[in-house]
Amino acid sequence: MTNDISKRLFPTTTRRQLLAGAAALGTASLFPVVAWADGGRLNVRAYLEPDDYDPLDASGFLEELLYGCIYRKLIQYVPGDQWDWQLDLAESIEQSSPTTIAFTLKPGQMWSDGFGEITAEDVKFSLERHMVDENNSRIRPDLGTFTHVEVTGTHSGIIHMERPFAPIWTIALPYLAGTIICKEAVEAAGGKITTAIPPAVCGPYRVVEHRLGERWVLERNPDFSGEPADFERVDLVVIVDESAAEIAKEAGDVDFTSIGPASVARLGDNPPDGSRLQVHPALFYHWVGLNVQNPKFADERVRMAIMHAIDVPSIVQAAFFDVAEPATGIIAPGLIGHRPETIIPPQADFARARALLDEAGIDRLEINIDVLNTVIHTTAAQVMQATMAQAGIDLSISVHESGSFWSLGVAADGERWQDLELTIKRFSMTPDPYYATAWFVTEQIGDWNWEQFSNEEFDRLHDEALSETDPAQRDEMYRRMQDLMEESGGYRFITHGVTANLFADSIVPATRPDGLPLVQFFRRA
Amino acid sequence: MLRYTFQRIVLALAIVFFAISALYTVMITLPGDPTTVLLGPRATAEIRADFRERMGLDNPIHVQIAHFWGRILSGDMGTDFNRNRPVADSVFSALPHTVALVFGAIFWSASLGILLGAFSADNRGSWLDRISGVLSVAFIAAPSFVVALYSLLVFSVWLRWFPTIGAGEPGDIMSRLYHLALPSFAIGLAWVGYVARIVRASMLEALGENYIRTARAFGLPRRTVIYNYALRVAILPAVQVLGVGIGGMLSSAVFAEIVFSRPGLGSLIYDSVSGRNYPVVMGAMLVAIGFFVTCALIADLINAALDPRHRSQR
Repeated sequence: MTNDISKRLFPTTTRRQLLAGAAALGTASLFPVVAWADGGRLNVRAYLEPDDYDPLDASGFLEELLYGCIYRKLIQYVPGDQWDWQLDLAESIEQSSPTTIAFTLKPGQMWSDGFGEITAEDVKFSLERHMVDENNSRIRPDLGTFTHVEVTGTHSGIIHMERPFAPIWTIALPYLAGTIICKEAVEAAGGKITTAIPPAVCGPYRVVEHRLGERWVLERNPDFSGEPADFERVDLVVIVDESAAEIAKEAGDVDFTSIGPASVARLGDNPPDGSRLQVHPALFYHWVGLNVQNPKFADERVRMAIMHAIDVPSIVQAAFFDVAEPATGIIAPGLIGHRPETIIPPQADFARARALLDEAGIDRLEINIDVLNTVIHTTAAQVMQATMAQAGIDLSISVHESGSFWSLGVAADGERWQDLELTIKRFSMTPDPYYATAWFVTEQIGDWNWEQFSNEEFDRLHDEALSETDPAQRDEMYRRMQDLMEESGGYRFITHGVTANLFADSIVPATRPDGLPLVQFFRRA
Repeated sequence: MLRYTFQRIVLALAIVFFAISALYTVMITLPGDPTTVLLGPRATAEIRADFRERMGLDNPIHVQIAHFWGRILSGDMGTDFNRNRPVADSVFSALPHTVALVFGAIFWSASLGILLGAFSADNRGSWLDRISGVLSVAFIAAPSFVVALYSLLVFSVWLRWFPTIGAGEPGDIMSRLYHLALPSFAIGLAWVGYVARIVRASMLEALGENYIRTARAFGLPRRTVIYNYALRVAILPAVQVLGVGIGGMLSSAVFAEIVFSRPGLGSLIYDSVSGRNYPVVMGAMLVAIGFFVTCALIADLINAALDPRHRSQR
């Protein structure tokens, strides 16, 4: 009897049973992978959490990632390698005069949740609310000289500007400020979208749930008037850490993520099984800025000596793993105003730097550089420290966390901005040169112009280029502006970097030319 | 006991008050203008000025602290600068994830640490004891974020046993536990070493006690004497250590939540400090410190209840 019980509790295991058990365990260990590899679901990494659904509070691409899925615009960027736009809600749109744009909406485009058809009144409401002071729109400057929309019919209207504003086609209408929201729904919500789920959407997806700090869960919008989205569900998964995102991709928990230059160099032509890697030239610009108003750099020869002592190829090699190209300015290739080359070659010329310092009567020059605590920028600073010593320049490095760093040059946050010497910064960019030069005009000193660069010709050209509608003329103006920046001795352009995307080969991603994802256009392979 | 409990509660409240007030001062005096960081480059000067005024950032520090405590006492934690919603929503939606993470870490550290410590004591002086000692010290020395990254690589990427990110599907307890296993292991592993060392030491002490000698003299099986009698006494110091260790686990939770992309107080505080989102930082810190102080208080009270010498020593 005791023996029976013992056998029941601890049955003897045969070799065959053991092998079968091992096989079952092996199969079970695959289960999570099988369960996640659902073709109807797409997981896209977001490096931070978008703020909310109201374009008034939008500040950058993270919001665009979400808005692109749930809202529409008159025109949208075309996925691919060339910057261009395509019709979205608009059936037709054209520059009817230098200060007006006439548009006609496609008929029968519907809002979700029974809010009816999308009309020109919605367009008027969506654009004009950015111009109301009380609304405190963060992206109002994107609309430039826009004044109002004149509604001429249910589906037609005219966009009016105070004076010509070329970026309206490249920044305003196809990006955040051009997002169309439902007038009736937003007015019913009190004029601002503060609800947990947006009251009405018109994009290919709608919001099901926002899990704070974790993900936005979207599903196919049944009321979408265009071609139905390819995925039943899209999750915008918040993964702050780039390494964690790459691991999540390798484990199959996300289908699309950006990765850093170190990973690009490592993965190269050999991405993990079931994955593909695409590398795009980015629009960002990294540069070494020098505060030209600092008395230490009053002598132009000293500024130029520093510029000649910075070896850009070494920085790109060490900090960007040689996967990016040295920049020729703040405007990336493919955009109006891109310069083919810099005035000072990217390679350092230590002999020339030394000679300039000797002319200025300086034996050893001690300077400081402030950098953000990112691997890329601290590495860049260390490379500079090592190489500049060859010209007799001793560089000390001060590393800051982001909150502290981004207030260094801000006049409202203390006196430090006046004593700044060198900084390494990266600014984000939109596909119009105006967005790059806007931060370096005189009125930005004490705000974002940390180099305290002030040049009348630059300011004038920036202003005139906004209204210049001839692309060739604009191109010439922005090139000249970058020449002026470089001639001041305040700027050493490093690189635009790259956007590298690692994604499952079961999807066909759609990206802008700079590699940022347009999730609304993603398809299954 | 009642008087002792009252004294500990008053002390706990005082700790929370001074810790939060000090943190507020440090936070406000940190370089970094929240209007610049939060509103982004395209916000105009007028928008920034309006924002500064609405958030009371123009007031002197002592006035801001007084306003903060005034709001807290009236049950209002303020408004999340970023999301335009009550701070309480952000904090209390994150709190359960962190609490689950910390208790998951305690589970791992207690279950593995006690086993390892008891095993070590039982095999005192043997090569198994030495290996266990080396392992314990290695666990203590391994930083949580390194453990987290390697756990991800081994258990998620290579073996594919666990998911890499997220907290699981809401309402599905198995999914929640499944997503909790690896991050809580990453945090708990360091404490496995502490617990194992403490349990080993106190077990060796217990094994020399008269009542153990008596139990042996009565002919009770060796296993019963060690695991039923000695271990029961030996784990008490480990409970105390884990109670206080919750503070350390909360710190480690920051890394685990970032690496595993889990929502929680740690990642919320990290994001909010970077973004100078003061109301969320302070709300989350208040809850985190309150949680830590409460756990330490409970550990103190349990110890006092179990061992009256604790009450008289204070």
